[in-house]
Amino acid sequence: MIRTYTLTVNGYDRAVSIAPGEILADVLRDKLNLTGTKKGCNLGDCGACTVLVDGEPMNSCLLLASQMEGKQITTIEGVAHNGKLAPIQKAFVEEGAVQCGYCTPGMILSSVALLEKNPRPTVQEIKDGLAGNLCRCTGYTGIIRAVQRCENYRDDGTCAKKEVVAENSRFNSITLSMPRVDAADKVTGRAQYTADIARSNMIHGKILGSPIAHGRIKRIDVSKAKALPGVLAVITGADVPDTKYGVSPARYDEYVLAKDKVLHEGDNVAAVAAVDERTAEKALGLIEVEYEELPPVLDAMEAIAEGAPQLHERYKRNINTVVEQTFGDLEKGFADSDHIREETFIGNNTQQQPLEPHAAMAYWEYDGTLVLYTSTQAPHYVQYMLAHVLHIPLGKIRVIRPAVGGGFGCKAATSPLDLCSAILSRITGRPVRMTFTREQMMHYGRGRHKQHMKMKLGVDRDGKIKAFQSEIYLDGGAYTSFGVATAYYAGSMMPTLYHIPNYQYHGYRVMTNKPACGAFRGHGVPQPRFAFELLFNMIAEDLGIDPIEIRLRNSMTPNTLTVNDLDIKSCELTATLLAAREKSGWKEKFGKLPKGRGIGIGSGGFVSGAGYAIYRGQVQLSHEKGREPFVKKSIFPHANAIVKVNEDGMAVIVMIGAAEIGQGGETVMVQVAAEELGIPPSRIRTRCEDSDISPIDLGAYSSRVTLMGGNAVKHAATMVVEKMKPYAAAILGCSEGEVKLLRDARMVVAGDETRSVPWEEVARKYFNDRGPLVGTGCYKPPDGLGGDFKGGTVGTSPAYSFGSSVCEVSVDLETGKVKVERFTDFHDCGTPINPQMVHGQVEGSMVMGASETVMEDVQFDKMGHILNPNLHGYLMMTIKDAPEVFSGIVDSYEPEGPFGAKEIGEGSTCTVLAAVAHAIANATGVWIKELPITPERIMNAIHAKQSISEVVSTPGDD
Amino acid sequence: MLLTDIEFHEANTLKEASECMARYAPNARLMAGGTDLLVDLKTGRVGTNHVVSLNRIAALRGLATTNGSLRMGALTTPHQLWASTTIWERFPAILDAVRDMAVPQIRNMATVGGNIASAVPSGDLPPILTVLKASVILWSLSGEREVPLEDFFLGPRKTVRRDEEILTEIRLPYPPPRFGAAYVPFALREANGCSVAAVAASLLLDQKGIIQDARVCLGAVAPIPLLVKAAKAALVGKAADKAAFRRAAEEAAKISKPISDIRSSAVYRQELVSVLTRRALDSARQRALGGQQ
Repeated sequence: MIRTYTLTVNGYDRAVSIAPGEILADVLRDKLNLTGTKKGCNLGDCGACTVLVDGEPMNSCLLLASQMEGKQITTIEGVAHNGKLAPIQKAFVEEGAVQCGYCTPGMILSSVALLEKNPRPTVQEIKDGLAGNLCRCTGYTGIIRAVQRCENYRDDGTCAKKEVVAENSRFNSITLSMPRVDAADKVTGRAQYTADIARSNMIHGKILGSPIAHGRIKRIDVSKAKALPGVLAVITGADVPDTKYGVSPARYDEYVLAKDKVLHEGDNVAAVAAVDERTAEKALGLIEVEYEELPPVLDAMEAIAEGAPQLHERYKRNINTVVEQTFGDLEKGFADSDHIREETFIGNNTQQQPLEPHAAMAYWEYDGTLVLYTSTQAPHYVQYMLAHVLHIPLGKIRVIRPAVGGGFGCKAATSPLDLCSAILSRITGRPVRMTFTREQMMHYGRGRHKQHMKMKLGVDRDGKIKAFQSEIYLDGGAYTSFGVATAYYAGSMMPTLYHIPNYQYHGYRVMTNKPACGAFRGHGVPQPRFAFELLFNMIAEDLGIDPIEIRLRNSMTPNTLTVNDLDIKSCELTATLLAAREKSGWKEKFGKLPKGRGIGIGSGGFVSGAGYAIYRGQVQLSHEKGREPFVKKSIFPHANAIVKVNEDGMAVIVMIGAAEIGQGGETVMVQVAAEELGIPPSRIRTRCEDSDISPIDLGAYSSRVTLMGGNAVKHAATMVVEKMKPYAAAILGCSEGEVKLLRDARMVVAGDETRSVPWEEVARKYFNDRGPLVGTGCYKPPDGLGGDFKGGTVGTSPAYSFGSSVCEVSVDLETGKVKVERFTDFHDCGTPINPQMVHGQVEGSMVMGASETVMEDVQFDKMGHILNPNLHGYLMMTIKDAPEVFSGIVDSYEPEGPFGAKEIGEGSTCTVLAAVAHAIANATGVWIKELPITPERIMNAIHAKQSISEVVSTPGDD
Repeated sequence: MLLTDIEFHEANTLKEASECMARYAPNARLMAGGTDLLVDLKTGRVGTNHVVSLNRIAALRGLATTNGSLRMGALTTPHQLWASTTIWERFPAILDAVRDMAVPQIRNMATVGGNIASAVPSGDLPPILTVLKASVILWSLSGEREVPLEDFFLGPRKTVRRDEEILTEIRLPYPPPRFGAAYVPFALREANGCSVAAVAASLLLDQKGIIQDARVCLGAVAPIPLLVKAAKAALVGKAADKAAFRRAAEEAAKISKPISDIRSSAVYRQELVSVLTRRALDSARQRALGGQQ
């Protein structure tokens, strides 16, 4: 059956043993070690596995390797020649077309095929050519730019593009749109993601998911699976610790594998390890599980009813979290209002869908140290949770985060792969690698909570807010995950944009037999923000006030303590509104567009890092100690950095556990270090991936890396400079106080810059005399953040971002089909460390948010099975759906941020949903209050409005 | 069933393929581009022990003209249709179906024969080929037969093709003068979107613009591509104008039998059928009058 085939790959003949059913993508990755070909969906929907076959792009996940003889196969590894990037690769690097990099190989190969036939494609031709490659990070904007400008890049290694310089002349490396430090690896296929990493003697693990949404496990028989040759271990709930885990310490409610009940389709029931993936897959099929099926409850509003099926003993009526907060005098606020409007909005259950599925690879070292490679946003929390579940000290766990192909929140917690690979490796004594399929990712979930939102807003006749009341039911799925924080965030962030004197929030997070929801970009905020902004626009319409004007009248001002005790420092929301109004041509368009075309506005913002860590207490106390009493300060620093200068002074290594997940965190760390050290970024590299090397950073969540990680790196760099000064003084023959650091890698005598010494010479002198030149730095959020009430910590942050988006759409009024045409977005992100990367975040947010607004939704049947568990049925925007995005940055300086910087990645998502929904309302004359706003919902609303107006206009007809 | 447990057979000739199918049926499936079959096998939607690949049979590739008709080999890819000047000049309506079918990678891999033989209700080519009066050739050791496309489909993934028969080619009569056709699909996104509803229409006009012949065929709103006979009755003998198109659209909506699923409700699909029928007829009219392609 298996025979040797000759495949011609990247110009060379390779003899490979292939079984007839083997898929080309697997053969390239596993047998030819060409791991630049990525697997994102394995079903031909995402394009990450694109290769060229005789010059034509094809999905290698749907090609039989045995049919490829005699064909020329080109993978990403064959695009660069002799170590030199091809023009398209250079264009991707320099035009900001790369973020997480997981779609990049396929995207580049599709571009190569397009440009081969059509060297100067129009934007439409580019969209047609790249329509089969999904990207979740960039919003496709940078990619289109790169393909358009490819012809500017030459083959000879030189670049036609002019050198980038800092936009703000006060700086050298800050406000500098330099290419990402990992871009070249990502455009060549060199970047290694977790599933690309193999160790000798490695075996493969897989998890068996529950086929039913709710039930009791009556019997599991693994004997047949264990007897299958090649199977090395099979584990069930009986073989894993009794310790529950999760995210919020108050609500750990997950077992590694189900002990008794399964609570959603795909819930983890058993795991196997075998010599290869195929054997592991087969073994899963041999595990016999007998379930006692229980009725599932799938709707949050039904789940809270008396007598509804119960998921967990401890959450009565399935209510997992209750938030009841009142600030100010609500009754008086409404009594003082001239106009009150109350509306109910319903959100959707969307998922992050990063192109890279979760993966983990674990092994144990001779001394009992666990080494885990994992695709994670928060390596430290994984380390902490492994210590908790496996009952080993934190220090005996080494977590390595390879390149991560996007996260957006679904990789912010410890996954069953992390735990199962560690356990299976301990049992078998061999490295174990595990990956999720796209379907398993969707069953694991951790997407956006579907929120049922009743909101009541009272304003005076000028539109000034007097009182706001919000009651929200969050559909949380089967486990808590981040959900406690989500329930609080859904309320706490509302008063950050506008002055709201009286505010009440009641939030109830409810358990249902669906995959657990978690923290998805904007954590809890985008849906209530959508609802609030839309309600605000309705009120503006009621009062005849322009919707941008009503925002300006209420807009948050700097240095304000909100009604719920959040401490706003820098704030340029007003500037973003004015800039978006001007640039979008709002005044010429709003209310003046023909029917079927619309324009809308939404504002939003987010925290720049959570004010408090997810767990309380000290780092070394993990499973051994109970919960610490809460004090209003951080116990340990949230970000920690070491800056080490190489012995020759020519290179600097920045070590910080800050997770690069595609957002550009490592590049930001390099730029901050370069600015503070006074040397070019090209001399700096990072070591962020290994917990044995880099000190703790809490990770890439709550938009914290730039502000917190940046501050830690800046402080560490300052220490290096301070250590160098005495040595510079000795060389220069001046006093230490006279030494001045220039930004061009020199130290000089203040007042006489002709007396200078190269930076590296000072560093060498230090090493010669004192040994390693190292600086350390850390960052703790300010003490005392937040009010003295339950949940007062959630929403606290050292700084807040603000932004406003104007969206333009056209709607086919006969079918309801929406084309989101363009966004004009302005953001206050403080000082942009790297403006191109800021725009990249905004472009990605706009497209992701628009996609969530008009098409995304996980759908379930009556028994709780996901009806669209793949990227064919779960719709997200392709390059042909994506709108144009204009992204602008307003002047702002945040005193708490490094060089004045704050966040962009999540705040930019919060503006989008309402802007799109408002534009659709503007185009159609109907407000749609339920997400996603599908063509069918639009047509239903149009028909409903028509029938009402017919009744009204013809009163005597019946 | 894992892919690697399936026995793959590489047929070098039609005879081999047919014999292989006869031997292993019903536990065997034919494979052309594999873009549907491999997905179905990977997801477990279908199970089979044997797959018989047609990919080595070169005679099944490409376009040829004989006896006033165009012959499309079953293994012709959508991309090859897009690249064909014959299609652009004589059958521009086919481009409507090919332009946004799936994604570029799939258009390089999928085949015309597969798109028809798989009989997925949302398939893009069957409706437009039906209004173009296409027929398919089914070959077996006992001979070949020609089946009009409108008689080919029996239900979702069910056709009149017997296990040992190979769909070898599609025959398309060259259209007469003043003939125009169009295909208007509706999906929830611009690429890789499965049709929620789709309508193909053709019109043959006389010199005064009166409709001599007409066909309307619906996709994705019935178990099979649905030829709307009542639409023809509503159109023939009438002027090709909005009123006639509206009547035909009403007939089309009436006869459609859509289901409600994750993409849309049946009611909305019916509404779409009406809109898309008018639009398809309008484009067909423009093409018949020699307007834009």
